[in-house]
Amino acid sequence: MARWGKARAGAVGVVLALAVWFGVVSFGIDGRVAHAAPTEIVIGAVYPLTGPGAQVGLDAKMALETAAEVINGSYDLPVPLGKGGGLPHLGGAKIRLVFADHQSDPQKGRAEAERLITQEKVTALIGSYQSSVAATISQVADRYGVPYIAADNSSPSLNRNGLKWFFRPSAHDEMFTIAMFQFFKDMQGKTGKPVPSVSLVHEDTLFGTDSGNAQHKTADAAGIKVVADVKYRANSPSLTSEVQQLKAADGAVLMPSSYTSDAILLVKTMADLGYKPKAIVAQAAGFQEQAFFDAVGPAAEGIISRGSFSADLAPHRPAIKPVNELFRKKAGKDMNDNTAREFMALLVVGDAIDRAGSADLEKVREALVATDIPGEMTIMPWKRIKFDETGQNLDATPVLLQYVGGGWHTIWPFDLATQPPIWSVGQ
Amino acid sequence: MTAETLAQVVVSGLLTGMIYALIAAGLSLIFGLMDVVNFAHGEFLMTAMYATFVLYITLSIDPLFLLPMVAVFLFAIGVVVYRVLIVRALSVKVNSGMVQIFATFGLGIFLRGIAQFVFSPDFKSLRGTMLSDKTVSVLGVFMPLPQLAASLVCVVAFIGLWLLTTKTHFGRALEATREDSEAVALIGVDRHFIFAMGWGIGAATVGVAGVMLSTFYYISPGVGVTFALIAYVVVALGGFGSLPGALVAGLAIGLVEALTTLLIPPSLKQVGVFGLYLLVLFVRPRGLFGNL
Amino acid sequence: MATFSMPASLPAGLDLGERRRRRQALSGLVVLAILLVLPLGIGDVYVRNILILTLMYTALSQAWNILGGYCGQISLGHALYFGIGAYVSTLLFTKFGVPPMLGMVAAGFVAALIALVVSWPCFRLSGHYYAIATIVIAEIVYLLFLNWDWVGGALGINVPFRGESWVSFQFRTAKLPYYYAFLGLAAVLWLASYWIENSKWGFYWRAVKDNPIAAQSLGVRLFRSKMVAAAASAFFTGIGGSFYAQFVAYIDPDSMMNAQLSILICLPAVLGGIGTLWGPAVGAAVLIPLTEVTRSYIGGSGSGTDLILYGVLIMAVATLKPEGLTGLFRIDGRIKPAAAPATGPSGSTHAA
Repeated sequence: MARWGKARAGAVGVVLALAVWFGVVSFGIDGRVAHAAPTEIVIGAVYPLTGPGAQVGLDAKMALETAAEVINGSYDLPVPLGKGGGLPHLGGAKIRLVFADHQSDPQKGRAEAERLITQEKVTALIGSYQSSVAATISQVADRYGVPYIAADNSSPSLNRNGLKWFFRPSAHDEMFTIAMFQFFKDMQGKTGKPVPSVSLVHEDTLFGTDSGNAQHKTADAAGIKVVADVKYRANSPSLTSEVQQLKAADGAVLMPSSYTSDAILLVKTMADLGYKPKAIVAQAAGFQEQAFFDAVGPAAEGIISRGSFSADLAPHRPAIKPVNELFRKKAGKDMNDNTAREFMALLVVGDAIDRAGSADLEKVREALVATDIPGEMTIMPWKRIKFDETGQNLDATPVLLQYVGGGWHTIWPFDLATQPPIWSVGQ
Repeated sequence: MTAETLAQVVVSGLLTGMIYALIAAGLSLIFGLMDVVNFAHGEFLMTAMYATFVLYITLSIDPLFLLPMVAVFLFAIGVVVYRVLIVRALSVKVNSGMVQIFATFGLGIFLRGIAQFVFSPDFKSLRGTMLSDKTVSVLGVFMPLPQLAASLVCVVAFIGLWLLTTKTHFGRALEATREDSEAVALIGVDRHFIFAMGWGIGAATVGVAGVMLSTFYYISPGVGVTFALIAYVVVALGGFGSLPGALVAGLAIGLVEALTTLLIPPSLKQVGVFGLYLLVLFVRPRGLFGNL
Repeated sequence: MATFSMPASLPAGLDLGERRRRRQALSGLVVLAILLVLPLGIGDVYVRNILILTLMYTALSQAWNILGGYCGQISLGHALYFGIGAYVSTLLFTKFGVPPMLGMVAAGFVAALIALVVSWPCFRLSGHYYAIATIVIAEIVYLLFLNWDWVGGALGINVPFRGESWVSFQFRTAKLPYYYAFLGLAAVLWLASYWIENSKWGFYWRAVKDNPIAAQSLGVRLFRSKMVAAAASAFFTGIGGSFYAQFVAYIDPDSMMNAQLSILICLPAVLGGIGTLWGPAVGAAVLIPLTEVTRSYIGGSGSGTDLILYGVLIMAVATLKPEGLTGLFRIDGRIKPAAAPATGPSGSTHAA
């Protein structure tokens, strides 16, 4: 009977182990909730903090923390809540950020969003860099009735899922794409030379696929020939065959949609194979990351990228300089397209909560729907922030930037331009 | 499609194949020796790339001259991993293959975590090395200098490994240990020593691959994952443990991958590679050169 | 499970074996009873999510264990069957309006069918060749799905919410239905494993695993028995996939079919003890909460410490307790043949 006893002890052991595990887990949780002071508003941020894309997530953390500092601290910046001192209509309640790691995995994003909503009782969620992860987070947020602010997700399909709680202050890739082709048209007006053809190259996840589709459609509508539409596997060991195809097609403008790793490999491989298109007009993402410039060096010269932000817009937007200073102190680098959008996302939701005068979710949603922030109060080139019925801000005017002499310069729209574009297409 | 395009695709495919073969060589060696698939192989590669990065930044020595240093470093890692991890995983009586897979899988995750902890997840690149961003063009076919150099190193490495395993006393000890590790113990060969050396040499080989790769590829904690699956397929296609097999399989995979893109969308190019692998395997269940 | 107690077909005297089995049945009942009431006391959604994932990986790993553990065919491509299951029931629901409760049966059968097609050539391969082939096949299907527009491609499929219902297995925020569904699946698989351990098939498979040549000479129809194991394993994995699709309401190739998932499916069994009755459950109970909690509470720092911890845990088990965590509890005598001569002939590690 000795084994009998042992086995029973074993079974009991298993059960105990289980119980202890979950005990520990639930205890930890209760402890956390108890700490939440009533005078603070908790905002959840779901970003990739490990795995591919983690650097972007870490930068987002800095940007959001900078925004929280602007709201909570004592500054006087010409942005919503820029006076500091918390949220005035909530008795100066402070914003507290809670970060979660989605590891670039949609299902982990879903789980973390749910945790932040139910455990941390967040008043709103901000996310998430990868559009594929935003697809699950926004859905969970909608089911629970918590606003999701898509700070830097640019996939156009996101605001078309019929979600009530989805808000995107910045442009999506279709808007960016339309801007690119408008730019082509404007340049034709200036130089008299049309863009004869474009080559598309995009990665195979949600972002690249959506962007590639939008670009192909817009090109067709504009009557510009698409001579190559190359979809490649993200994080490929090699892109030589892909670049070879692009080289053979020889479109006048190359339009890539790539995250950082592939952007590096793509541009390096192009140099290796002696392929130099007349112009590169990129769907931002990897092409605006510091790691990309560090890697490719002079090959980045002359690249044009769409953007929502440019530091040289400072004369039009007085807040840019001081905000960038704050961010630089934290992160040791300048703000870029992504970090600027993340910064704005927190201000937008903070402003709405403040106007709602409470953390009641339905009221916050109503306040978000009623949002109307003039462009001058942002650090972006946007006309204003006002959401349509799908939660998209259609006034998020995109800009095009060109990388010249080691920095980005606004080249379009022409009235905001700080430099004339360097453009040789058609010549 | 012009002849020039085809020539470029073939040349690029072969150059890529050389890199695949070089990365897979160490994996093949370790497997041939002791029937262990190292699932942290990609992370060994990543470690070598970071080692190159650190040495290049701090000592300003060109990666080409760092080859011996990084190889020795990886050799040490290989020996330690064998002594600390693999020995224990091997001691299990049942399902030892599975336990080894997961011991090394855990090691891979651990190394990725360490890399992110130390270096942050950002992408690093070596700039301004003797090879970087240089390319030669012959009759309109472009051959990047870093890949050419890597191919050369690949050939040298394979010849070296082949000589080591077939022509030296140590190589014969390796071979004997692989045939019957119990029996060699009777004639005074310490099989743990031999196995540890095998792991050291295997890791040093992937160290060499890491140095060459870092002259033209970005470095990140996840970079090993990108190459690991290809390396397993190369080794299995060539036949586990066969060095010539790994070389031929690497070249074949590089070439097929490049040629596939002429027929199907590049996002599916690995389907061609994997399809080839399955096809060969169903005809020759032990790979091209496998006789284990 | 009418064949639940069919020791009649056993070849050897079962005094001690019979006692061991009764003991296991009892421990199974106790654990089931606890798990039935456990979530009622825990209202927290996060913890319930962890419980659901733990049960899911228990079930998936048990399904894997049928092929990988009992039959000894190390498949590293089970994400394929999981993904197929998820896609079949979801596509039937979104494209043809078939309720997921019916769709999941179809999902299981399609997954089993694919397992038969895949296994037919693959079982000619041995050891690592088989393992790598399973990875590669799963990867091919993953790439095809990623590029196949009809199944949503990289965009994936949003499972539309059509109101709370058991038939469509959809609930706005409730977690308990999914908890009990996965508990049911895990329980069925536990029973199946319990039955296999003492059945004709179980003996065949163990024989196949321990000594294929001898097993063949003893008249075990090697190939057929492996095919049955593959089909059964894939069937349950497919059903697990279709449950999961309803649970998360959004599927895409990256989260349903990637190679990492295949590893996660067998990892609990490896940690708990391969080819053991309790191995998958014990492994999942340790691994899944640890993964989730480290990501949630340490991963937020972004420094990679969660990966370091996770890796160390796996290495620690592999080196300190290579026969699996169940070795700590000694519920299964079978996995420690040296330590358990007392279990007699039913300690059939050397059945052949």
